[in-house]
This record gives sequence, C-alpha cells and structure tokens, in this order.
Amino acid sequence: MSGGPYNYSYIFKYIIIGDMGVGKSCLLHQFTEKKFMADCPHTIGVEFGTRIIEVCGQKIKLQIWDTAGQERFRAVTRSYYRGAAGALIIYDITRRSTYNHLSSWLTDARNLTNPNTVIFLIGNKSDLDGQRDVTYEEAKKFADENGLKFVEASAKTGENVEEAFLETAKKIYESIQDGSLDLNAAESGVQKKPTANGARSLSADNAEGRNPSSCSC
Amino acid sequence: MGQFGVAYFVLSNLSPKNNKSVFVRSKRKRIAYKNSEGEVEDEDDLMPGTERESLARGMSSQKGREYTIRLALEKKQDQYIDLKGITVYIGSWNVNGQSPGSICLSEWLSRTNEPPDIYAVGFQELDLSKEAFLFNDTPKEAEWRDSVKAGLHPGARYFHVRTIRLVGMMMIVFVREEIKDQLRHIAVEQIGTGLLGRMGNKGGVGVRFELNETSMCFVNLHLAAHVEEFQRRNQDFHQIFNRLGFFINEKVKYIKDHDQIFMFGDLNYRINPATIDATKAKALIEQEKYSIILEQDQLREQMRLGHVFSGFTEGTINYRPTYKYDSNTDNWDSSEKNRAPAWCDRILFRGGNLTQIDYTSQPQYKLSDHKPVSSFFNAKIKVINPTRQRKVYEETLKQMDRIENEYLPQVTVDIPGTNQSSHSNRNEINFGKVKFMEPLRKTFTVANTGQVPVHLEFIKKLNDSHVCKEWLKIEPVHSFIMPGETCEVELLVLVDKCTAAQLNVGRDTLYDILVLHLESGKDIFITVAGDFERSVFGCSIAALVNMSEPLTMISPGKLIELEKGKMPVNHYDIPKELWFLVDRLYRIGMDKDGLFTMAGSQSEVLEIRDWMDTIPNTPIPGNADSIAETMFLLLDCFPEPVIPFSMHLKCLDSAHNYTACKQLVRQLPAAHRNVFLYLTSFLRELLNHSDKNGLDAKILALLFGKIMIRDQNYNAKANARVERTKATFIYQFLVNDDYGDDLWPEMGEDLVSFS
Repeated sequence: MSGGPYNYSYIFKYIIIGDMGVGKSCLLHQFTEKKFMADCPHTIGVEFGTRIIEVCGQKIKLQIWDTAGQERFRAVTRSYYRGAAGALIIYDITRRSTYNHLSSWLTDARNLTNPNTVIFLIGNKSDLDGQRDVTYEEAKKFADENGLKFVEASAKTGENVEEAFLETAKKIYESIQDGSLDLNAAESGVQKKPTANGARSLSADNAEGRNPSSCSC
Repeated sequence: MGQFGVAYFVLSNLSPKNNKSVFVRSKRKRIAYKNSEGEVEDEDDLMPGTERESLARGMSSQKGREYTIRLALEKKQDQYIDLKGITVYIGSWNVNGQSPGSICLSEWLSRTNEPPDIYAVGFQELDLSKEAFLFNDTPKEAEWRDSVKAGLHPGARYFHVRTIRLVGMMMIVFVREEIKDQLRHIAVEQIGTGLLGRMGNKGGVGVRFELNETSMCFVNLHLAAHVEEFQRRNQDFHQIFNRLGFFINEKVKYIKDHDQIFMFGDLNYRINPATIDATKAKALIEQEKYSIILEQDQLREQMRLGHVFSGFTEGTINYRPTYKYDSNTDNWDSSEKNRAPAWCDRILFRGGNLTQIDYTSQPQYKLSDHKPVSSFFNAKIKVINPTRQRKVYEETLKQMDRIENEYLPQVTVDIPGTNQSSHSNRNEINFGKVKFMEPLRKTFTVANTGQVPVHLEFIKKLNDSHVCKEWLKIEPVHSFIMPGETCEVELLVLVDKCTAAQLNVGRDTLYDILVLHLESGKDIFITVAGDFERSVFGCSIAALVNMSEPLTMISPGKLIELEKGKMPVNHYDIPKELWFLVDRLYRIGMDKDGLFTMAGSQSEVLEIRDWMDTIPNTPIPGNADSIAETMFLLLDCFPEPVIPFSMHLKCLDSAHNYTACKQLVRQLPAAHRNVFLYLTSFLRELLNHSDKNGLDAKILALLFGKIMIRDQNYNAKANARVERTKATFIYQFLVNDDYGDDLWPEMGEDLVSFS
C-alpha cells in the first residue's frame, strides 16, 4: 500500500506568535475549519491544530501550535519554538503597538528556531481597512529588510489565510528539496514519514516533538 | 509486509458486497485474521472507531488513515461512480475432441446485432488424446482459437486478452479494442478435479480482470460425468469455487471476490432417470415440454436444495437438450448406452448489474455429441468520474482533518470563584495572603469535554527541573479522564523553612505558571499567585540583629538591604525575637517536664509568629512547648545556621576536642557567636532544672546540634554518625566546667536592658 494516494510524506511543525489579540487563534481556526470564530477567547496556553495539505504533489501534515500572546506567558511560550519548521508572526493592522513589537517577536523566532525556519509575517484583520493603523508599504518594507515573507490577511473573510500557510509549507519543502534543510537534525521541525512499513515509529517521533520540556516524563 | 496483508485484502475489494462484509466484521470484537503469510492479525487494528481516535492523536498509522479514507470514499461511491453499459457474450461447447476443420463459428458467436464488448468462449474435451492428458499439449488449441477469432462479430475489432487451457478445458477471452486499456489486473488460473481429485481431465479454468472499477470473473467448467454422480459434480463445483485463486500483487482473489461472475461449461448434470427415463424424455422433448423435464433436472434440483451454485442465476431454458447426439447428426445417441438426453451445457451468473438478454443453443453445429450454448448479457460496470471523485476525495480529506481536530483531546478548566469567560486572566488561581507555615489549599476541576479519553500531565517548563515552584504542590500531577468525566486537582501552597528566605527578600515570588499538558493535544497555562507576608522566619541572624523594629515595620527594600549586609549597625547582640522566646522560657518553661521534646500547638506557634512579626504591647502568647517549638523553627529557618556553612566541616572535625571547639566558636561571626553562647548557656541553665524537666545533656545536644549545625542541603538524608558528631560538639559546651570565661567577650549591656 505504500505510496497510496492518501498518505502524507512529511509533518511540518508551525508556531504562530505575536501580541495578544492580533488573531492568532482565529487564523488557525480559519485555516483548519474554514470558519471565522467570533468572540474567540484569549488563548491561555498553546492550542494545537492539524491539517493535511498538498505541496508540489506531496501530501504534508501541518502540526500547528498557536501560542498565548500575553506578555506574562512569554517566558513559557518560548519553550514551544524549538523544532518549528515554520513561524508565523502576526500583527494587527489596526493596532500599531502590535506592529511595534514585531522586532521582539522576530528576535525570539530567530534565536529559538533553527536558521532554516521559514518566518512569515502576517498583518491580520485586513478586512478592517478603515481602521488601518499600519500601512501595507511600511510592513512590506520591514519584511523585506528582515528577509520575511509577508501578506496582509483576514481571519474573518479568509483572505490570504490559505496562501500564507501554504506558501510557508512550499518554502519549507523547497529547502528540503535543495538540501538546505537537514531532515536528520533534531530541530528541523520536519519529520519525513517513512513509507508504509515504518509508519509505526511515528508515535514515538511525535511524543518527542510534542513535549516542550527537554525531558518528557 | 505481513502487517499490511489484511488491510490490502479488505481494501482492494471495492465491490459493494465486500463493503458490506467489512462493515459487518467491524461491528464484531476482536477477530483474528490470517493474512497471506499466515500471521494472525487483530481485527481491532481495523476498527474505524479506534482509528479515529488514534488519528486524532497524530499517531495514526498510514494504514489506519488510508483505511479510513478508503472506507469513507467507498461510502460515497454513488457520488463519483457512473454506471456504463457494456455487453458480454458467453459461449460454451463440448467439442468431443474434434478439430474445427473449416467450420464457421459465426452463427454461434456473432448472432447479435451489435458486437459484444467482451467474449468468453469455453470448450471442453478439446482434445481427448493421451498426449493432451499426459503432456497438456495439443495442436487443437491453436486451431480452435483461430476458428473462434474468425467467428467473432465482424462489427468490431477484438483484442485477445488471454487463453487458458487445462487438458481439454479451454477458455479464450476477447474484448473490444476500444476498452482494452481499461482492463487491469488480468489473471488466469486453473484447477483440476479429475482423476485422483486433481487431474486435469475435469476441473475449471478461469480468467479475471477489472474493467474500470468492476471486477469480472469467467470460469469454464467441466464437472464429473455419469448420471448418478451429481454429488461428485457438486463437490467439484465447491472445490473450484473455493480454491480457484488468482494471484494479483501477491494477494489471492477468489471467485467469490468478484463483482460479476460467469460460470459455464459442461456441468454434466442430467435428468433424474428414476422419474423420466430416456424414452419419456425424448417424447416430451418432441412436444417441446422442456419445463416438465427440467423439473427433474439435477442441477435445478441441487440448486433448489442449496447444494451448489448458491447465489447464481440461470436463465430460462427454451432449447432442446444439448446432449447426447450422434456426431454429425441431430439424432439422439444411438449407441448401446442409449444415453438419455440432458442439458449438460449450462451458463450461470452471479453479481449485480447483470441482465441476461438471451440464453440459447445452436443445434445446427453437428461436429460433436454436444451442441454449443451461448448467452448474451447486458452488464453495467462502474466507472469513476475523475472530477467528481477528486471533489469527493477533497471533501473527505477535509472531513478527516476536521475529525482529527475534533478528536483532539479537549478539556475545560474550572477554577472556583473566577470568571471563566474570555477574560485574559482566566485560569488564574490567587491564594491571596500567604503566611509562613500556613498551608493553603485550592482545588480546581478539569473536565473532559472532548470525545476521546485524555491523559493530562503537568509538565516542566523549559530549563526548569520541577513542574512547579518549591512552595507549591500539585496533586495529582497526572491523571486520566474519560470523556464526560472530571478530575479534581488540588494545589497546596506552603512556605516553609526551605522557601521563606527566598520569598522574604524577593528572590522568589508567589507566582508560577503551570503547564497542563494534554497528551497529543494542547497545553493549558494555569497561573498561581499569592502575596507572601514576610516574616522573621527566614531572616538571617545578621539581618535580625540590625532590625530595631518589628519586621512588619520594615519595608521590603530595607529588608533586602539588611539581608545584603548593608548598613551593619548591630542594634542587638542577638536577634531580639530569639531573646523574647528564651526569656519567656526562663519564666514559664524551665521546670516543664520534657521541654523541647513535646510538640507545641500549631495554632499557638502561628500566634507566636504573628506576635514576633509585630511585637505588640501584649505578653507573648503560647505555652512552653509552643514557645520551644517556635524557637526551633526560628533557628531552623536561619538561611545561614548558627554554625555557618563555611565552618560546617571544621566544626565536625573539632567536635571531639573541647579546646578545638572553643577555638571554632571564637572564630564565629560576632552575632552567630553570641547566639551560640546565649543558647548554650540557656541550655546549661535548663540542665540545672533537670530534676523537674527530666532533660539531660545528651538529649539537648542532639536536638540543638541538628538545628544549629546544618548541612547546606536541606534535604540531605540524616546520617547517624554525622548527627552524633554534631551532638558531641554541643555536648562539650553543656558539660565542661570551664565554660564561658574565655568565650563571652562581647556580650553587651543592650541585651540585658532590653527586658
């Protein structure tokens, strides 16, 4: 049954970070459920979502970690960065403060992930153009200067949400293809699924990746 | 590979019939299957229910996921499968070992208006020679194949799919050129049931393939002869039906595993001679009263009884018996045997979407002692509509994703007295004021609101060695909750000697974030907070002697500075709190029986604590035992014990030599030395009352040695030898006569005047 049409070949770990209230959980929800979650409660912890996507004909399972944005949890959420293949940094285009904090989030993302981690900047709430507090051009410039991919998206309308998640996966997949991402490195954030016969090892791999403490009990 | 045997076996059967069997089986519990390699597999692996859970946990095997998606897709087959009509032509002829010669078969094979899409033509007794039987080699195979080819419908071009022959049984299958590319998994197989139960003079040959999504199987049979052998014929059938297996990708498919099955040939069933003999039969045939004779047909009877061809259908017979004629005539057998006429040559079918158009014989062929038979079918085959299949597939994947997310473990945390709405400070447990040595408990409830059992566990944060701070205990640290059930978690905050000092000076605060981890799911943060009321417990001797006011009057900042050793004024020779306790014991405790060996009252200890932190204008509360216990506690909480850690080992080394002990005491920091001498002289005084209090020097030395001489590691296991050495050190100062003279140089007036 190996190579059946329904299997996925890779697992990519993503983290979603950014200030409180910028819409991290709503973006995740929109991506996994294709729905907008109004009145989404603040995330107190780290939410977890999955979806299988297709990139260049390859099925890829995304494991997405949506972190609490509150400053007081920052020290704890940092333990979740490790082993992320993709990092989505979110700000709210209607709140400049969330944009101003980007460099701090970016520093964390750079320091706590591996050099090949694809970092994607998303300006959320693009549906609220009337209340815009950060221009597209400004954020684009910031993204270019820091070598980040960038889109403005809306978790409410779904605009560009799919694209951001898929584009990130595509870039990760490219780094696998050109060999710059070493799958054997513990922190690559990518698991290559062995074909059929070895599938059982997955649970073990997962357990390792799941636990933020270095020593899982 | 063995692991996947069963999965493959089940999955690659896409027919509705097999679907059903999959579902039926999945309702049962724990049935072991053997795969092709004979390994036993557990049915539970294939249960959709359990698969869903493990899928959600991200631990699903590919097998599981594949299986679940296939099942889901099969269920939705209607949405993407179209039925396409084709025609199938079946022919069968026992040629009695004759060569075709120049015979033209088109009257047999191309008698329909439209050219059939599929031809399956079977022969029996193709060659009766010994060579054919022994070496399975005959020139007649090619002769008859060429004749068949020539006799196919001229309205279409045909592709030769396969010819299979076992001795005299041969089958040739053709399909129209236009559909040959839609055939998959073509396979042939043969089985002998003749002499010795396995020789090839009787038996069956089969061809199978899938045309688009429909599996088709054609089997040409030649069953045991002789009127009375109908049971043997049944047996031959079963052997063929159950054992004829086609190998496809190393897996076996049996006849029953096909959507559409055609079985035909010289089945050799006769007319029951007891009720209709040859003469009567011939007479009825002349009147074309076939149905009367057919009531005595062995095959019909055995099928009615359920002994053979179960599930198969045979069309109405409206033609003369196909057996037995004198060759080259239409005359019944005129040999000595004078065999009765019978419908030996039959065509049966099984499966959905099959309609028989006609079923007939071609008596004009006189070559053999049998007449050929043929039947023409309309069949509907399943064809995938790729666009719609893609759509259904995408939907199924999405659904799987959704299920996967739905089946992630889900819990709610209910903390009594907090607002569980969307507030950003939910999941926060505030203990309010926390005092030294006063345990506080709070519980909260974790409810499993998801659809799968949850294993939850409080886990360590990065770089932390424990799941929570030292002043906090969590019970239980991990738990297992079934859907719909709850689990109560108790948090216990207790600031004791180990943690008081850190909290006093703000090196630690009563604030912690707990990570409640759901296995294979999310993590929930739970914030624990409280306000620690600073206390003299945990303050150092050095800080206490510099405190002129009660601790509650000292600002946190000042305390930190005092603890850092800044502004050393040395208001007092010894901590005033210690002096109060000792002074009180002087007054009420010297004659108390068993002082220091009895536990005090816990509530009185806390009252004394509060008194010492505020020093009100009231007498110090508590009885002697409570005062004594509080004193122990105070000494135990000194972050630096009376004998400082730096002198700990030297102290143990000196213990057996009084001079060395005194030398060490002289080297103590002033405040520590004062405390040491103050306490030992108090103990000597206490021993003067030993007739009343029953104490002796050894007991006191052991008790105070433990507490004044401490190892840096609070949790180090007590070592009896070390404890005895500590006691020896103290003992020296309790029993030697020359105590004091050279040790009290700095005891000032302040202390005395304080009272």
